[in-house]
Amino acid sequence: MSSKRTAAFPAEDATVSEGVIVPETAGRHRPATAASPGEPLLVVEDLRVQFTRGGRKINAVNGLSYELAPGSMLAIIGESGSGKSVSSRALMGLLPPTAKISGSVRFDGRDLLGLSEREMQSLRGGDIAMVFQDPARSLNPTMKIGAQITEAVRLHSDLDKKGAQARAVELLKLVRLPAAERRFHEYPHQLSGGMRQRVMIAIALAGEPRLLIADEATTALDVTTQAQIMELLVELQQRLGMAVIMISHDLGLAASYAQDVVVMYAGRAVEYAPTKVLFANVRMPYTHALLGAIPALDREPHSLFEVTPGQPPDLSALPKGCPFRPRCSNATDQCLEMPPFTEHDPEHWFACWHPVGSGTGKHTANGEQR
Amino acid sequence: MAVVEPAPSFSLSPEVDEAEARAGGRGRRWRSQLGTWIPAGMIAFVLVACFLGPTLLSLPSPVGGSVLESNQPAFSPGHVLGTDPNGNDILSRLLHGGQSSLWIALAVNLLGLVVGGTLGALSGYVGGWVDTAIMRVLDVLIAFPSLVLTLAVAQALGPSMTNTIFALAFFSIPAFARLARSAVLRLREMPFMAAAQLAGTSPSRMLFKHLAPNIAPQLITFGMLGMGIVIIIEGALSFLGLGIPDPAPSWGNMVATGQLSLSATPMLVVWPSLALLVTVLAFNLLGENLRARWSGR
Amino acid sequence: MTATATPRVPVSRDPRVSPLSRLTASPVLRLVVKRLLMAIPIMLGVTVLTFWVLSLIPGNAAQQLLGPEATPEDIALLEQQLGLDKPGVVRYFDWLQGAVTGDLGNSLVSRQPVSEILSARLPVTAELVFLAFVVSLVLAVPVALLAAHKPGGVMDRISMMISTLGLSVANYVLALLLVLVFAVSLGWLPAIGYTPLEDGLWANLRGMILPSAAIGFPLFCYYTRFLRGDLVDQMQQEEYVTTARAKGVGSWAVLIKHAFRNSSFGLITIVGLNLGALIGGTVIIEQIFALPGIGQMLLQAINTRDFVVVQAAVVIFALVAVVANLVVDLLYAVLDPRIRYGSR
Repeated sequence: MSSKRTAAFPAEDATVSEGVIVPETAGRHRPATAASPGEPLLVVEDLRVQFTRGGRKINAVNGLSYELAPGSMLAIIGESGSGKSVSSRALMGLLPPTAKISGSVRFDGRDLLGLSEREMQSLRGGDIAMVFQDPARSLNPTMKIGAQITEAVRLHSDLDKKGAQARAVELLKLVRLPAAERRFHEYPHQLSGGMRQRVMIAIALAGEPRLLIADEATTALDVTTQAQIMELLVELQQRLGMAVIMISHDLGLAASYAQDVVVMYAGRAVEYAPTKVLFANVRMPYTHALLGAIPALDREPHSLFEVTPGQPPDLSALPKGCPFRPRCSNATDQCLEMPPFTEHDPEHWFACWHPVGSGTGKHTANGEQR
Repeated sequence: MAVVEPAPSFSLSPEVDEAEARAGGRGRRWRSQLGTWIPAGMIAFVLVACFLGPTLLSLPSPVGGSVLESNQPAFSPGHVLGTDPNGNDILSRLLHGGQSSLWIALAVNLLGLVVGGTLGALSGYVGGWVDTAIMRVLDVLIAFPSLVLTLAVAQALGPSMTNTIFALAFFSIPAFARLARSAVLRLREMPFMAAAQLAGTSPSRMLFKHLAPNIAPQLITFGMLGMGIVIIIEGALSFLGLGIPDPAPSWGNMVATGQLSLSATPMLVVWPSLALLVTVLAFNLLGENLRARWSGR
Repeated sequence: MTATATPRVPVSRDPRVSPLSRLTASPVLRLVVKRLLMAIPIMLGVTVLTFWVLSLIPGNAAQQLLGPEATPEDIALLEQQLGLDKPGVVRYFDWLQGAVTGDLGNSLVSRQPVSEILSARLPVTAELVFLAFVVSLVLAVPVALLAAHKPGGVMDRISMMISTLGLSVANYVLALLLVLVFAVSLGWLPAIGYTPLEDGLWANLRGMILPSAAIGFPLFCYYTRFLRGDLVDQMQQEEYVTTARAKGVGSWAVLIKHAFRNSSFGLITIVGLNLGALIGGTVIIEQIFALPGIGQMLLQAINTRDFVVVQAAVVIFALVAVVANLVVDLLYAVLDPRIRYGSR
């Protein structure tokens, strides 16, 4: 199996630190700081995004912080409206100009929020690439697959048209699209959902990114295809040494693939830990609720079921204190005050006055079985 | 407790994000209000001027002027805008001409709204061969060059206000019918329609109590744009001598007679042209604004 | 390796399939045949309607030709000669029989074959419409792109103001204002009249500038508004635009290479649907500028009750509208890959 994959891989001999798949001739230059180990690739601090709609201020992201090491995979988990997609679009500079963004996003030592549109443009699709949720809508319906990839290749390399086309076919093979040469000349609607998402990944890889953001990249696909695409992403991540931010509403998916997990609620990170630590001991009642109705001996049998109903709060009128308070069974008057998001346990950050499962290992079985 | 969820909640899917960005804040909302009230005010002004103006300003009659008073310049005593070659007061002709334009536009659009709206709603609601039959007839009417049809009808019936209305209704009815039909087709998919049907609501009650109120705003908005179109086409008919018969004034025939002496007395063309422009502009602006609001909901 | 769907190959290349059945399997061809079949009842309906409407008009060509002093006997004789004494249904089927074979009959007034009249007049109207179309489209596309690049920006506001104004002005009013400014005041261009192409291109164009501007300006406004709106929708609502931006494509390139490519389909539809209305609008413009086109012919024919000619004009107008719709559908099918491969 693995040898088969290698065969499809075009430039095996290139070095990992050079971005592997690009022949030296592409002439790409990476800053020296890129590969220094230990230093995070991406540091997001107190990121806030606000929209104004009909005179109402909508706080889509309210102080999000996390770090991402080079080559690792981070999962950002949350319901729709939790700000997970908005926050990642904010760091790509893809939000409409009316969005108010504050905080700091340092990528490889550079503050992304301070970059000009021109600088952002060369970064987008270059060092940072993105794959979106709905491959049916994310590809231009009137352009051939090949042209869409070639366009991305040419934007981030000095290759001429012929070279870029050859490179596009290589990329299609890299994402293991069957019959890549033929597909090159086809239109998106002629492909299945899984194949389209492979094309999207090929486009994202065109600039040899060091960070790939997969925004619900497998949500629209059926379960089998979903697993295949995730396997592909993980494999590419390891092979190309890129970092991946995986945005999903599926905690189970995160548990199986990511090294670290951020759980978001109402635009805020509510729990953040390495995957193993998190699933060994879920602390935040919201994460707990996401995991499903877990029979806990020290709780009332039906208490968790009261947590799950309800909807994410109105982002233009957030409740006082902890935003999860109205839906939380553990809530007390203390929750009217915002719980601080701090490192309560080693490597384990969360924001809650009344965390669940303070013991150790209680939820291991549930976490691991995914 | 939490079964019924009254609190409004925003799903921040990308689409909604963009919608927010476009809605763009308080300034935009205020402007949209202004965008409705300014054209509405313009229309009110035109209506008051045309229908009350002649009495309030005690203007001379628009017809039967004396040739002795012909071609007087603007601001001459008793004639603010001067007189035309027949000695008629231009302002009076302008306002009286506006009356007929506005009456015709209103009648044509009401006919379109009621007849076309009912036909279209029926067609969409009943479906089947009724729908096919009605839509084929409308297809023919729409393929038919509208001006040619109105020309022929106006010729056939002879120039008069009533006949102009009938001639123009020939083309407002299919337009309204198409719109009503597509609106009903969209509504038919809505759950409340199924609910009403399951509750045993009679077809006529369905049509008038459930469908009509829901498609009315769209049709009325379209009617605003239709007012502008009809005023222009009525002007064209009168311009060709097939609308309001001389010597009664209308903006169209004022432009047409003014054309004869364009180089000598251009103002004869300019005044009715301006009146046409301002009125049509006001209806268009109002219609566009209502449409934007309607689709923004 | 991958469990993706089997590739859908659009048109069968199987050698066993005969060329004919391959053709009929083509979605484009099926569309053409379907639309042509739909056009037939519409054209029939239009001709019946015209006959019926014309039969309502009091008076006929015989009375018009002979004038008010003619005796009833003279009129009856002429009616018999012109075939006007037959019942309407018979006349319609006589006409239809001729029309199907390409014979549109002779003018009741000049006795000239209608086809001859048409061949003299059609080029004038065609030139007028063509010029108006080309100029309005050529101007509308860049203006709409400029406006849509920054929605709410200065260019956007200016172009929207101008186009709102342009859509509110009647073309006959615009025509007279243009004459007033460019012919009467400035004297740059002729106010009326038509110079045939044989007398020189420039002489011909000079006479066509004002009439085609009077038709083309509102069109320009309409196209600009439509295209600008559709571009902005594409830019703000379509996910493929986000993909393009995430690739690092610059804002102008996203607009032109991606959004405009998709918006152009809508524009084609609008242009095609417009052609029918546009050609109706030439009637009044040809009248104002004394251009010897189809529109002027129609007006004269209505006044002289020359119904054979009226009928021909209406058929031409309706045919243009129907054919334009057909061409739009075809263009769509050829340009839009989703239809070309029959998956929509």
